[in-house]
Amino acid sequence: MGGTMTIPPAVVFGRLAFGPRAAEPDADSGRPDWLARWLDRQLSPDLSSDGRDDPEVERHLAAAKLRIRYPAGDGWEAVDEDRPLACLGQPIEALWPLAANRPAVAGPERQRPRLETAAATLIRAVHSRWQLREVLVDFWHNHFNVNAAGEPAVAAALPVYDRDVIRRHALGNFRAFLEAVATSSAMQVYLNNRSSRAGAANENYARELFELHGLGRDAYLNALYNRWRDVPGALRGAPDGYIDQDVYEAARAFTGWTLEDGAGLGGDARLPVTGRFTYVEGWHDTYQKRVLGREFDPFQSPMDDGRRVLDLVADHPATARNLCTALCRRLVADDPPAGLVALAARGWTESRSKPDQIARVVRAIALSPDFARIRDAKVKRPLELVASFARGAGIDLVPTNALLGELDGSGQRLFGWPAPVGHPDRMEAWLGAAAMRRRWSLLLGLAENRWETGAIDLAARFPAPLPAAAAADRWQGMLHGGEPEPTTTAAILAGMGLAADAMLMPGTKAGDDRLRRIAAFVAMAPRFNQR
Amino acid sequence: MALSRRTVMQGGLMAGLGLAGGSLTGLPGVRSLAFAADKSVEAPVGTLGAGTLVVVFLRGGADMLALVAPADDPDYRAARTPELRVMAEGPKAGIRLDQTLAPTLDFRLHPDAAPLAELYAARRLAIVHAVGLTDGTRSHFVAQDLMERGIAREEDLARTGSGWVARWLGEGGHGEGEQGRVPAIGTAAAPAAALAGLGGALAVPDLRGGLAPPGGPQAAAVLAALSRQGDGAYERAARAALGGLSAVDGRLPRGTDGKVAAYDAEGGAVYEETEAGRALQTVARMLKMDIGLRAACVDVAGWDTHENQQGRFATAVGQLSRALAAFHADTLRYERDLTVVVMSEFGRRLRGNRSQGTDHGHGGAMLVLGGRVAGGRMLGRWPGLASHQLDRGVDLAVTTDYRTVLSELIGAPATRGFPGFQGAPLGVLRG
Repeated sequence: MGGTMTIPPAVVFGRLAFGPRAAEPDADSGRPDWLARWLDRQLSPDLSSDGRDDPEVERHLAAAKLRIRYPAGDGWEAVDEDRPLACLGQPIEALWPLAANRPAVAGPERQRPRLETAAATLIRAVHSRWQLREVLVDFWHNHFNVNAAGEPAVAAALPVYDRDVIRRHALGNFRAFLEAVATSSAMQVYLNNRSSRAGAANENYARELFELHGLGRDAYLNALYNRWRDVPGALRGAPDGYIDQDVYEAARAFTGWTLEDGAGLGGDARLPVTGRFTYVEGWHDTYQKRVLGREFDPFQSPMDDGRRVLDLVADHPATARNLCTALCRRLVADDPPAGLVALAARGWTESRSKPDQIARVVRAIALSPDFARIRDAKVKRPLELVASFARGAGIDLVPTNALLGELDGSGQRLFGWPAPVGHPDRMEAWLGAAAMRRRWSLLLGLAENRWETGAIDLAARFPAPLPAAAAADRWQGMLHGGEPEPTTTAAILAGMGLAADAMLMPGTKAGDDRLRRIAAFVAMAPRFNQR
Repeated sequence: MALSRRTVMQGGLMAGLGLAGGSLTGLPGVRSLAFAADKSVEAPVGTLGAGTLVVVFLRGGADMLALVAPADDPDYRAARTPELRVMAEGPKAGIRLDQTLAPTLDFRLHPDAAPLAELYAARRLAIVHAVGLTDGTRSHFVAQDLMERGIAREEDLARTGSGWVARWLGEGGHGEGEQGRVPAIGTAAAPAAALAGLGGALAVPDLRGGLAPPGGPQAAAVLAALSRQGDGAYERAARAALGGLSAVDGRLPRGTDGKVAAYDAEGGAVYEETEAGRALQTVARMLKMDIGLRAACVDVAGWDTHENQQGRFATAVGQLSRALAAFHADTLRYERDLTVVVMSEFGRRLRGNRSQGTDHGHGGAMLVLGGRVAGGRMLGRWPGLASHQLDRGVDLAVTTDYRTVLSELIGAPATRGFPGFQGAPLGVLRG
């Protein structure tokens, strides 16, 4: 395709990775088809059969420790230790006790799975070879948002959700992804489907399945039509969109999809307490239904009603538009061009039965002329800001409780957005006054190693004394991967009261302090905050 | 409250003295009762004029039928289990409200809203019921977007980018506001959508750590220079943040250690460590800074109660009620120029679901609190809860457009906040 030759790798890595990295091994950018080749590798990551990451990530995950501390309480001893990320590899039944009321569990233990998952997310964002996968994992965590900072059961289910649902399907097939989400412990708790019963079904999951996960709010036609048959196309089984009657019916279809959470089954019978997904036929509304203009006969086989709803959602043209708009918004621009969305949606629909449907669509977006043409149409969210600064500045980032706390305060509390819509993906949401302040504070704190996340290796980058202007230029090259901007250099030197030719001496406290500050200031420039 | 060194240095003459715009009326702890007219008499209509409006938005669709409800209505009792109802009798009985909205019905407030019942009895709080969007949406996100932009129809979303508070305050464009003035704040981390388009609006969740840019004067100088490089969204946001944050920070009283002094609330007010408590404390503190605050947007989450509603809702109602009462006590000497409105994107389904919760509904209620409010009354038109009276057969009908209440509060020219909307005022405010 045309424009791809003209995209500098640093621009691509700003969008399809968490920023450029010094000595990026994949950047064989001399070749005209480098982007296609890079995509080939990134979209079929070489993960071992058990889904483990590359060795650098594995090493960081194994070494990482987070503090956990709480006083003795009713039913537990005091704890104060640096603990490895022990929740992450566990099955749901090992983590589910963290959600229980009896025996009692200390609050920090309940929050532990979220903190560990956030720490692992930072590690992978900075260190993983499979950067595009990490970008898409972040996208899908927000698309299929759950709030692990609220109910303890969501937190307990988060490591499994991250590992076996989001990561497993991030580059895969959307229909399979939908069912993995629908049957996940995290989503079952978060959108309450586990307590839904025939009679007056809980509509929470069904509504967000249509509005957020699938067809999208533009296809919600409730203000226009009161009856299903009035929706254009409904009588031939191809409605333009959905209304509340579809939500009611879909909610009935998912009754009985639940978790082994100990709920009573009548008499003395109870479900086991493992947190695993299960289906309870006795809770299912077995009678006929009508969803998106299609008749469902009564008394279908177990789970068939719900699976059919997932089929209808996955196949609807509005879903292709909604998902491709969201992907283009993440990867290209807040308001992506209609032509790019249409191109992606065609690919989405054509490959809907392919196991790598999502990877194919991402590839089409990345190789499109619009992707090459549009620049700086996104403002980095705090996770991107942190990870790209660490990558560009060469910090061997180690996540700490303090850094995770700063990230929480920045407005991007990972896996902690309360509403099912996920963290906003438009720039205005990240440009509030206090958020700007937190953004700058993150950069200074990382540069000065305020949270013990790892020092910048200044000696490797600045082996000899150099003029201040040259230091500002060099930092721009490392952080942006492009030519330095004279205005940025001038702004930094003026603000610091440094002459352009003032010599900075690496290895001295004064010299190193200034070099670290210049790195943070370069990252505060508009250019580093956009992608 | 002492003047801080920084304030003096920046020349903020009235800062820290707690004077708002020179329009101080009343005295701490002394309520003006001159306007306490008989509730049955139709009050003349007023507006906020140059006062300050605080918009508390309950995110998630608050179940107003569990907050203020006709406890003895047979349709209400038939549709909900006791756990989801305001009860007319028993140990958890609701608090009876004197009202003329539907004199034959026994309207009661949730028992955990006792602080609100006191404000209602003191005629500082009015309740508008069966109010909301006339659009048929039951989507959180569509409904919130409509309300924040002050419109009623989904087709208007695409051509209405600005928020209604921003249009009311009349700055419209993307200017950076008057130097050193902060006309509006949001207390969420992300800028409030109702303030979109307003230069000088600030998103300030918390003042307790101060708001100076990190890194001291050197970083501030660099940031100022970097933010003058261009006029992109980031540069504009950086300039607005630097100006607004330093204006606020300079007015925060500090101890000898340089740390922001603890906030000293008036009137015996105690703000709890809750989302509502923290946010309203921030608003009170800003209000007392003489920084030109005209509007504040406060979000309170946790109202999307599809499951196990009873305990969660009671907790949320208690926290909200105590925070509103604390704010009222703390800002009593401003009350002639200060109004709080509490709203949500929709109410919830009349009938409960089998998860002991309620699903998305339609009509809700709005609470209006302040010294100008013709309080102690319920307003609007009560549509009833029989099946044929419900919206689409399931939800409390909307008989009052939410813009009726808001446009009365902001007064003429109401069309600026709510273009094309014309509704007769309900008389929420006194003349």
